[in-house]
Amino acid sequence: MSEAHLEHPTPKMYVQIAILLGILTAIEVALYYTEEIVGVFTDPLLVILAVGKFVIVVGWFMHLKFENKTVNRFFIGGMILALILFAIVMFERASANYI
Amino acid sequence: MSNSHAYPHEETGVETRKLGMWVFLSTEILFFGTLITTFMIFKGKNFPGIKLTDVYDIPFTSISSFILLMSSLTMVLAHNALENSDQEKTRVWLLATAMLGAVFLAGQIYEFTEFYHKGFELDTNIFSSSFYVLTGFHGLHVFIGVVLLLGLWAIGQRQNGLSLNQGMNLEFIALYWHFVDIVWIVLFTVVYLI
Repeated sequence: MSEAHLEHPTPKMYVQIAILLGILTAIEVALYYTEEIVGVFTDPLLVILAVGKFVIVVGWFMHLKFENKTVNRFFIGGMILALILFAIVMFERASANYI
Repeated sequence: MSNSHAYPHEETGVETRKLGMWVFLSTEILFFGTLITTFMIFKGKNFPGIKLTDVYDIPFTSISSFILLMSSLTMVLAHNALENSDQEKTRVWLLATAMLGAVFLAGQIYEFTEFYHKGFELDTNIFSSSFYVLTGFHGLHVFIGVVLLLGLWAIGQRQNGLSLNQGMNLEFIALYWHFVDIVWIVLFTVVYLI
């Protein structure tokens, strides 16, 4: 497995990643309080930041970036199924307006 | 961790227990995906009773989120210390992770208590029910993680170090703990910020 040959981050890099995660969280909170200024871009930006943090933790802290393809397929498969479920229900909610 | 790659299955290329852990996490994605979807169905709708936005404390929840994020750092440092055969540091970081998890849980209990006192209760309306079920199940996962971490730390203390097999257990608990963290990353945005 070629993925196993990738070097895992060092403790110093882990600390740097954690600092980045902290900064992204601070930006999220700042966006929440500046919603009137940022306007319609607030929610998309919050989603992008959350996805960024998600990918960083999964890729580097959970080492998925360095893992075997089989492992990646299982995790990404679960994500895709969950997103399909979410999309179907949200589409139904929007079109039926049942509540 | 390197020892988990020692005996990979010949077809999958992954140690079987490790693959099992990832399959479990995959099912957990669907579990939380369903709960988040249910929450989103009711979010933004008008229900009788006090609204969640009336009882929120974003600065408090932001600090809780930061604490849980940092527990992922201490977890990965425990993992790294074990890979470098530094048993003492492994135990220190394990305990630090458990403590940060416990602080997060204490914060969630405080938050729930405040919400209740302000009238946002489990049976206030269907939206409040979906909120408590979603965040409550996440809290339960954190609690299980803290128990597992403390259990592994206690074994390490008693035996003055973790064996190869217990080291693998640390890797599985680390995966679980990081998963709990990524779920909160999503919840913090979806439930509190948007």
